[in-house]
Amino acid sequence: MAGGNSDIEFIKKGKRLDGRKPDELREVRIEAGVLNRADGSCYLEWGNNKVYAGVFGPIECHPRHKQQQDRAIVQARYTMAPFSVNDRKRPGYDRRSSEISYILSQALERVVMVEQFPRAAIRVDMQVIEAHAGTRCAALTAASVALADAGIPMTDIIPSCAAGKVSDTVVLDLNKEEDNYGQADLPLAIVPSTGEVVLLQLDGHLTPEEFEQALDMAYKGCMDLYEIQRAALANRYGGGA
Amino acid sequence: MTKSSSKQASGRSVLLPGDKLAADQKAGSGTFRRDGEAHAAVLGFSSESSGYTNVQPISGRYSPRVGDKVVAVCVETGPSLWRMDIGAFQNSMLHHSETDWKVDFGDTASFIGIGDAALAEVYMVDGSGSHQVTLKKDDCRKLYAGTIVHVAPTRVSRVIGKQGSMITLIREKTGCRIQAGQNGLIWIDGEPDQIARAQQAVETISREVTSSGLTEKIEKLLE
Repeated sequence: MAGGNSDIEFIKKGKRLDGRKPDELREVRIEAGVLNRADGSCYLEWGNNKVYAGVFGPIECHPRHKQQQDRAIVQARYTMAPFSVNDRKRPGYDRRSSEISYILSQALERVVMVEQFPRAAIRVDMQVIEAHAGTRCAALTAASVALADAGIPMTDIIPSCAAGKVSDTVVLDLNKEEDNYGQADLPLAIVPSTGEVVLLQLDGHLTPEEFEQALDMAYKGCMDLYEIQRAALANRYGGGA
Repeated sequence: MTKSSSKQASGRSVLLPGDKLAADQKAGSGTFRRDGEAHAAVLGFSSESSGYTNVQPISGRYSPRVGDKVVAVCVETGPSLWRMDIGAFQNSMLHHSETDWKVDFGDTASFIGIGDAALAEVYMVDGSGSHQVTLKKDDCRKLYAGTIVHVAPTRVSRVIGKQGSMITLIREKTGCRIQAGQNGLIWIDGEPDQIARAQQAVETISREVTSSGLTEKIEKLLE
C-alpha cells in the first residue's frame, strides 16, 4: 500500500521504472459494445489492467425494499477475477470490493439521469480480469462508457485517473510497483463538462502543495482519458472522433 | 476543450451524452438543459421536428408510448391484475377490466399464468413512468403456442419494414403468423421448420440492420 517509505529509486533521469515521464498516462485502449448479452458493455486495457464492464437496465429494482420511489438506483458491482493478481484472490465479494462498488455507484449516480426511472435499478457489473494498480479508476472509466453504450440518459461521461507520489515526486497514473511501494495514491474522477469531482480518495501522505499538484495532474489525466472514451463510443457507430 | 460531435460517413453525426446542441435549437426528447443550453443526454443521432431537436438513442431499453402494440410476458399475478414484462424499466400492469374475460377476484392465474404471453397495447403512461396495457384493442389477445424472438427495440421498425413490407415478406415466404411488438419481442407461430426460418430471418435483419439491400438478402434467405 502507498504511504510507506521505500528505498526503491522510482525515478531515474526524469523517467519512471516503466519509462514514462512523471505526467504520462499508461497506454489506454477502450472498446465499446463488446458483449452481446448486456445492454451496454465496454472492454478496457490500461497498461496491464484489463477490465470488462457490462450494463443491464434500467430494470425493475429487486429486492423491492431497495427501490427509491422518485428515482432509479445505480447498482455498481466491482469484482476481481481470482487470476487477476499474483496470489490467487479468493473469488467473490469482500470488504475491498464492496467499498469500491459503493463509491463507484455514488460517482455514477451523479451523471446518470436517475430521476427519469423511478423505482428502477441500473446494474453495472465490472470484472477486473488483470490488475496492475488503478483498477477502481479503470473500472469506473469502463463503466461510464458501458452506460453510454447502453443508451442510458446521462449528463456526461466520467473519466477517472489517479495521481500519486513516489520518491518525493508527484506522478500521474501509478503502476503496480509505484502503488505498492510509493508514498501516496490519489484516485480522482470528474464530470468533465462541469469540473465536478465525483470520486476522490487519498492513501498515504501528501503536503498541501503536493496535493494541489497531484489533483491538477490527475485532472489533466482525466481529460485525456475523456477523449479516448469519446473516441471509443464514436468508433462503435462508424464515426471517427 | 472542444466538444465537437463526430461525423459519420453518411454525414449524420453521432452525439454522445453531454454534447452541446446548437444554441438556436429547442431541447426535445433525449436532451437536457444546463445553464440555458441544450445538451444530448443519450448516445444517438439528432433529428429535428417542429422546431425541436431530439436525440434518437441508438441503443437502450424500450420506453413505452401510448398506442404501441407490444408482446407482453406475465411475470406476476395479483388478485385482480397481472404484472407484465414488456422490456421497460418497470413492469406493466394489466387489469382484469382491460380484458374481455370475466375474471373472478383471485382467479387471474387461470387466464394468464406466469410465463404466458399476450399481444397488448399500451394505453396509459404516467409522469412517473408507470404504464398499463390493455387487451381490449384490435388484434390484442393472449398468445398461445409459438416462439418469441428478441431484437433490440430500436430495430423493430426495420423488421416491420416500410408499410410492413419486410414482415409481410416473411409471413408470405414462411406461412407463419408473426406479430412484431414495438418492445422488441417478435412472436412467431406456424410449422416448426418454418418458425425456424422466420426466426433466422428476423435475427438476420436485427444483426444487419444497417446494411443496404436487406430486403433482397432476406428474399434470398427465404427462397
